[in-house]
Amino acid sequence: MKRFDIVTLESPNRAPLRIEGFLFGDETTTGPSVAIVGAMSGDHINQLYVASGLVEYLRTKEEEGLIIGKILVIPAINAYALNMGEKNWPLDKTDLNMMFPGYAQGETTQRIASRLFEELKGYDYGIILEGRRDQSMCLPYVKLMQSGYEDLECTKDLGLGFIHYRPHDPIETAMLQYNWQLWETKAFSIVFGKNGAIDQGTSNEVHTAIIRFLSKRKMLDIPVFEGRKSNLVDPNRITLVKASRAGILISKVQCGTHIQKGKVLGKIIDALSGERLEKLISPCEGIVTCQYAHPLIFQNSIVFRIASVDLCCQIDTEK
Amino acid sequence: MGMIEEVLTIELPVGESFRIQRCRYTPIKEKPTKRISVVSGIHGDELEGQYVCFLLGQWLREHREAIKGTIDIYPAINSLGIDSITRSVPFYNVDLNRTFPGSKNDFLPAQIADGVVNAMQGSDFAIDIHSSNIFLREIPQVRIAKSQEDVLVPLANLLNIDFVWVHDAVTVLESTFAHAMNTIGTKTLVVEMGVGMRLGMAYGHQLLDGLLNLMAHEGILDIEPLKVRFPIQSHVGEVAYLNAACPGLFVPVIEHCQVIEKGSVVGHIVSALSGEVLDEVIAPIAGILFTIRAYPIVYEGSLLGRIFGEKQ
Repeated sequence: MKRFDIVTLESPNRAPLRIEGFLFGDETTTGPSVAIVGAMSGDHINQLYVASGLVEYLRTKEEEGLIIGKILVIPAINAYALNMGEKNWPLDKTDLNMMFPGYAQGETTQRIASRLFEELKGYDYGIILEGRRDQSMCLPYVKLMQSGYEDLECTKDLGLGFIHYRPHDPIETAMLQYNWQLWETKAFSIVFGKNGAIDQGTSNEVHTAIIRFLSKRKMLDIPVFEGRKSNLVDPNRITLVKASRAGILISKVQCGTHIQKGKVLGKIIDALSGERLEKLISPCEGIVTCQYAHPLIFQNSIVFRIASVDLCCQIDTEK
Repeated sequence: MGMIEEVLTIELPVGESFRIQRCRYTPIKEKPTKRISVVSGIHGDELEGQYVCFLLGQWLREHREAIKGTIDIYPAINSLGIDSITRSVPFYNVDLNRTFPGSKNDFLPAQIADGVVNAMQGSDFAIDIHSSNIFLREIPQVRIAKSQEDVLVPLANLLNIDFVWVHDAVTVLESTFAHAMNTIGTKTLVVEMGVGMRLGMAYGHQLLDGLLNLMAHEGILDIEPLKVRFPIQSHVGEVAYLNAACPGLFVPVIEHCQVIEKGSVVGHIVSALSGEVLDEVIAPIAGILFTIRAYPIVYEGSLLGRIFGEKQ
């Protein structure tokens, strides 16, 4: 294992920012290569945990001589934010994952993105560990943007239950996944967990999925169990259960639960009077893939997302 | 006096509602000619627009007979942010001006964006007033994407601003309020002036004159057009960026909005710990220093200023 600084940046008063990489495998290998990017936001604790867990796992496998590709893991991009409970770059609050491909002569976070991106170019595969941008927790899923350069087949080797396959939004053209794809790396994101916390179950699932991917894609010489057959879903066709009232949310189900139409999913109570304001009922049969994870909920917030076979699996994969 | 209306309300969890209010002025008798929306506070740390809204409201209250169109004033779009010195949407920590056009079926910031677009849909014009941010001080200027140049530059020239900056299209900016409104046919100008968290009274009065002039030209106000300044046009020159070469404390040596020579010293980056001058910031071109850093702590790359000068 080679541990090295990918980016260092002096600060006016803090100790320098260091973005560290952990490289496994012989650098001269002709085998496939992958770079795995962990926490880009200061609240992506789950992503940090999975990435650092991979470093520890791969270190032992390297000692056993089982690394047959080139594997780079970067557990934390935004250590400055992680160390002070911020989400974004602490000074100007910019989101590092909105700065790609970066600009070497630009503003601070553009420069960080540029130096990082220089290191990430040229890998065969790129895995970005992401959290959700809202207050939800979710089953692990693959987020794959249709940039025109994406590779859907490779993501199935993760064996995760769901692949969200959709066109990219304009704002996503500044994100790492999109730019990495344009530079011919088969890049995708794994979205999971709840921001600011560690969910052991989903973390284990993502850890296992990445090891499966490394094995199937000939970078790690170990046998693995088969994963799930991934379901391709159109995220815009997932059924939403929204809160018609604000208050305290009491959920009665967990992500991954298969529910019937008419099932009581939870309730919202008045935060001051305690009165029940709303009973949340499932409008369809399906699997709860995502749920609001903060105890206080705003009116009209999406409380549950339910994937049902007949609705959200109608997706055109032809390009 | 105008009619105060709530155009969007969303219940908050504990005994409060998020709300967006507008004050609408219409003609006393006749049918309105055109409709304009004056907008501020999409970023909660930008307050210059609040002062402009006040000045405009004050003027309209004193000149009711001059009103021929519908004039909507929205001083505080991100009302949670404005009342808590928070640039983004609190709780979600998301830049509202990167979530347009929004959606009813997305998280709260997207619902707010959707509500804003719906409230203003049908306006002929929108003026979105920003104050840069807390880091940079700007002269009054309008920024326009090149694709909108033909339609919007003539309108911007009426606004009594100092600079019209036509820039290349940036895909990320397709998620802004201005892009969303221009897409649905509302001619929308983005004004940047002053600095975040502060008021520049003179700029407020300057833009008020511009708004009155624009409304006079468009028949929304029955007054004589005002004599306004004609802004510098970006196509006649180029913009040079001054980025910090090292981290430290930026100490400017010249005032904002000065004409400077190529090679002149704009400021220094110093070390508060060692007492050293770490770098001298030199103007790479001659021109007007139309942007200058207001917040002194800098990292490598932090923007220190912009100079508009002749093409090299």
